[in-house]
Amino acid sequence: MNFSKETGLSNFRSYLQTKAQVTDEQFAVLAEKLKVEQIQKGNVLLRQGEVCKHSFFVEKGLLRSFTIDNTGKEHIIQFASEHWFITDRSSTFFHEPSDLYIDAIEDSCIVFLDQDFINLASDISTSFRQYNEKLLQNHIRHLQKRINLLLGATAEQRYLDFIKLYPDLTLRVPQWMIASYLGVTPESLSRVRKELARKNFKSI
Amino acid sequence: MATKNIEIVVAPPAPHMVGDGFRVHNFIPSGYHLDMQRMNPFIMMDYNSKYYFPPTNNPRGVSVHPHRGFETVTIAYKGKVAHHDSAGNSGVIGEGDVQWMTAASGILHKEYHEEGFSKTGGEFQMVQLWVNLPAKDKISKPKYQGITHQEINTFQLPDNGGLVEVIAGQYKDVKGTASTFTPIHLQNARLNKGGIADFSFPGNYSTALLVVEGSIKVNNTETVASDHFVLFQNDGESFVIEALENAIVLVLSGEPINEPIAAHGPFVMNSRAELMQAFEDFNTGKFGYLDE
Repeated sequence: MNFSKETGLSNFRSYLQTKAQVTDEQFAVLAEKLKVEQIQKGNVLLRQGEVCKHSFFVEKGLLRSFTIDNTGKEHIIQFASEHWFITDRSSTFFHEPSDLYIDAIEDSCIVFLDQDFINLASDISTSFRQYNEKLLQNHIRHLQKRINLLLGATAEQRYLDFIKLYPDLTLRVPQWMIASYLGVTPESLSRVRKELARKNFKSI
Repeated sequence: MATKNIEIVVAPPAPHMVGDGFRVHNFIPSGYHLDMQRMNPFIMMDYNSKYYFPPTNNPRGVSVHPHRGFETVTIAYKGKVAHHDSAGNSGVIGEGDVQWMTAASGILHKEYHEEGFSKTGGEFQMVQLWVNLPAKDKISKPKYQGITHQEINTFQLPDNGGLVEVIAGQYKDVKGTASTFTPIHLQNARLNKGGIADFSFPGNYSTALLVVEGSIKVNNTETVASDHFVLFQNDGESFVIEALENAIVLVLSGEPINEPIAAHGPFVMNSRAELMQAFEDFNTGKFGYLDE
């Protein structure tokens, strides 16, 4: 993937400008706290039990966070494609050993943000602080919705919610990963998609 | 008629795998000067140059994936591919055959090396081309033209020079076998050493050659080796190719479709909103269903 660190940094600057009104002067101060890395598909950014020191911003590519249960089965907690943040908050904020693994599903360009960056950005930019809080609230809103869907929704409802949130992931990740995220077996995801096709095919 | 001169000759870029069955050089749109708008109506060209695949009991290929907004044209030079789609079409294309699939409003398909070919292994060589559709036809009904080598109309060149297979469009008085939505010429010149073929297309058409086998001389000046791609200027009408050894040359020329292009993965539409709609329609089963 030809996506240089300089490009990654400059794209993140435009992102912060657009979303959090961080000025060029402010970004120049913040940039030294940032690290940009090319992460190859399959590489692990965080392992269960490690203390996670960064939030990861996906400039290009795709990351996922997941746990592995006692039987060795993976459960996907979150996908993070372009312009998503992903981390283990129990670890980055509370400094506890992480419950999660985070790895790259595609070759990716990742911006590493540590707590110093968040603190400094919040100090020098009120709009960044507000944006960061909005992200946090939004994250909680998603988690709340996800818990509710996992407890009470049908496989079809979970899938329909998934494709709204992640419209292009059905073309980027294997079926079993989507099934794992939805908490259903690959067979039942395949039944859901077949049933949707039965209802909707030729209705164009 | 004015001579159509070469704009550039592009060497085959480093190959990459599509699924595990196609080892391709992508010329369009990632090649130098070969982006979608420049090459329109030819918006993608993957070339699997001659490559040996060893025997296997598990056919290599590409699993189920969608397309919308254009046509896929697969031209087989060596090896065999089996395919299935959500409209119920299936079949095998072998040496010299062409599969012209109009994805249009949306289709799911999968392509694998044919079972017998997989078991024996062998040389594999194919071109896959995506042909753009005009806005008015992007959401039309999918259709499928399976064209065997025998069905392709041919023009015999004089002086035992070889022949031109007219897949689409027209060469001299021979009309192409496939039907197209916009004016497109797609032809295989199979030339014997020393064979000469002259071509003439409207000056504004996007026009190119791919040297599939052998080497050629273009317009009596430029020598082009195997697996190289020749882009002509959108100016002048006529050019001539001469085989320096027995050669196969894929000739393509098409009228540009002057509409905006919005492309994401397997969808090529006119706007971002239409791309978002394509994802939603694919995700909600409107392209149908096809087992892995």
